Amino acid sequence: MGLSGQAALVGAAQYRPEKYSTAPQMFHLEQVADLTVRALADAGLELAEVDGLIVPAPQFHEATMFVPAMAGEYLGVALNYAEVVDLGGASSVAMAWRAAAAIEMGMCNTVVCAIPQRMAPFAPDEDMSEFMRASRYGGHSTRYGAPEAELDLPYGHMAQNTGYALIAQRYAATYDYDPAALARIAVAQRFNACHNPEAIFHGQPITVEDVLASRMVAEPLRVLEIVMPVAGGGAMVITRADRTRSIRHRAVKIIGCGEHVQSKSPTYAQDMLATPIGPASRRAFEMSGFKPADMHMAQIYDCYTITVLLTLEDAGFCPKGEGMRFLREHDLTFKGNFPMNTHGGQLSFGQAGLAGGMSQVIEAMQQIQGRAGERQLARHDLAYVSGTGGVMSEQGALILQGA
Amino acid sequence: MTWNKPLPQPTPTSAPYWEGLKAHEVRIQQCDQGHWVFFPRIHCPVCASRELAWRKISGEGTLYTFTVARIPTMPEFTDEMPQILAVVKFDEGPHINTTIVGADPATLKVGQRVRPVFDDRPGTATLLRYTPVESAHPGVIDDAADAKVMPAAETVPAVAVRKIDIKNIDAVRALVSDSFSAWSPELAVTQELINEFAALSGDDYWIHTDPERSRKESPFGGTIAHGMLIQVLLGRLRIPQDYEITGFNNMVNYGSDRLRFPVPVPAGCRIHARSRVKSVEQVKSGVKLMMEINVHVVGQDDRPCAINDMIIMYM
Repeated sequence: MGLSGQAALVGAAQYRPEKYSTAPQMFHLEQVADLTVRALADAGLELAEVDGLIVPAPQFHEATMFVPAMAGEYLGVALNYAEVVDLGGASSVAMAWRAAAAIEMGMCNTVVCAIPQRMAPFAPDEDMSEFMRASRYGGHSTRYGAPEAELDLPYGHMAQNTGYALIAQRYAATYDYDPAALARIAVAQRFNACHNPEAIFHGQPITVEDVLASRMVAEPLRVLEIVMPVAGGGAMVITRADRTRSIRHRAVKIIGCGEHVQSKSPTYAQDMLATPIGPASRRAFEMSGFKPADMHMAQIYDCYTITVLLTLEDAGFCPKGEGMRFLREHDLTFKGNFPMNTHGGQLSFGQAGLAGGMSQVIEAMQQIQGRAGERQLARHDLAYVSGTGGVMSEQGALILQGA
Repeated sequence: MTWNKPLPQPTPTSAPYWEGLKAHEVRIQQCDQGHWVFFPRIHCPVCASRELAWRKISGEGTLYTFTVARIPTMPEFTDEMPQILAVVKFDEGPHINTTIVGADPATLKVGQRVRPVFDDRPGTATLLRYTPVESAHPGVIDDAADAKVMPAAETVPAVAVRKIDIKNIDAVRALVSDSFSAWSPELAVTQELINEFAALSGDDYWIHTDPERSRKESPFGGTIAHGMLIQVLLGRLRIPQDYEITGFNNMVNYGSDRLRFPVPVPAGCRIHARSRVKSVEQVKSGVKLMMEINVHVVGQDDRPCAINDMIIMYM
């Protein structure tokens, strides 16, 4: 059971991460169209070949209902497969496997997954209060009857920083916790970003000392261990592997996937340190027939350094509790013995909201295709990619292989 | 004090939990198979039983994990800085989100015993906070207890004072330092104070004076003080100094080289200030002494809400 590699990633486009204040404003429909057309050109496919579309429902500016129909109509395509995915930072990974599954089932031939994350313009007389409310509370529901509105917000339990800090503190009390080892993640990724002209922190190297001296946000997490939200967006094209002779670049087959959703708030997880990426990754590896040690690269969702650490452990790159040692013993840059987040990761490439995780899928695709420029890996046929939504709430994993 | 923070809105299912807290009891659900349930639900998430009963429990448990937030998670929590957010594991098993009171964050340990503290201050609901079992913190927080932690800036801490003659320019220059003085007493920036300043200054922009609209539309989640108000309040924040300048005929405020308001001050939080001598310059008419005065929201000691490089001219 599972995917058999009949579907492949063949092209992508993404906006360069930019500060919200200086990024262009575009309607989300316009962004979807723009990104789709560019991703298709990257792949060498025609718009008329698209018969599947996956978009995010939350934060879609022009509508909250019937979003795929509206976006498909705007694009000018008829769809045999139309879907929204609502898995936060795990959305890109989740979109990729859904597209592959739909293609393998014969539901459709070519799927575009698009996440617009530039701001949309406001109408001159638009009421800002709903927008302000949404941006203040982020992924937290403030609606009547939502457990978090009732039981978290009154105590100030809010947003991702403190949720991940609670997990990190629990980890520190249970296992070895070494801030300098964790800092190596941020430092290595910044090194990679300094070789990626698209990265928001291109040209700004940092050291372990810089990370350890940076501002404490929520103990034990410091500001250089936390992503900076940016404007951006991305789209990727997935098509039937046997149709890929006409495409411009090497096909990147989706040969394994897994997904696990455990809880909305880590508070209610039975064990805060047994994260959903464990079951998700085990399924993905098993489906692919490969093991963690077989991978040529890991593109790991990195909203925080602690997210990477827990993923390395729970996905099986090292035993539980030995993450710090793994970090100390490996060079995580694209030149090192464990190439990870070779584009700079979201920590240094930039986290464009729900599209943040797509930068990791796209980097894996481009590495496998041999198009990663200065940071191209010598061994680049197999990639592990992870996605994380919420506070270790919903996670997914992909195994990609060059055709 | 007005409660400007989000409040729980009990549902028909959860109401008994909140009624329990008002009565200073912790009541959670248990199903007929003996599983404890929290948060309140209509079924048991372990066995799916719909037969749930409310039981009184001690509320005691262990600290499952915690974090000390150095940046307010929401602006309206600035008055609680630093926030000690925690997850407590009830002895019965389920976890609950809370905050820790009456403890030095540096002494907290995952796994330590904690007991409930019923916080009656919001008025319409009682919140369940926690404190280490051995803490002397009262088991109930009410408005009277709140008044004790909101002092006004009246008393100045006593410090040994050196007298420095302004004509002894070397001694005055020796005051220049990178390190700051001790903190002033704390002062609460109330909505009433902000309203008075709005009336006096004529700046009654809604982000200062309209709590309801600010809650909905402002990025700060509530009203904030005018930057100029914070700067004016310096007069009431008596910063302890270990020196006194003597031997001058006249002392005037010459103005400021820099006046910045980097961090908003939400209504209801407390501020305090500290200063240092930044530079000393002998000029024709006397001595120009520049003080860097930093006002901070209490708990945000790493980031001032107002910076004033104020020049005092001694003649």
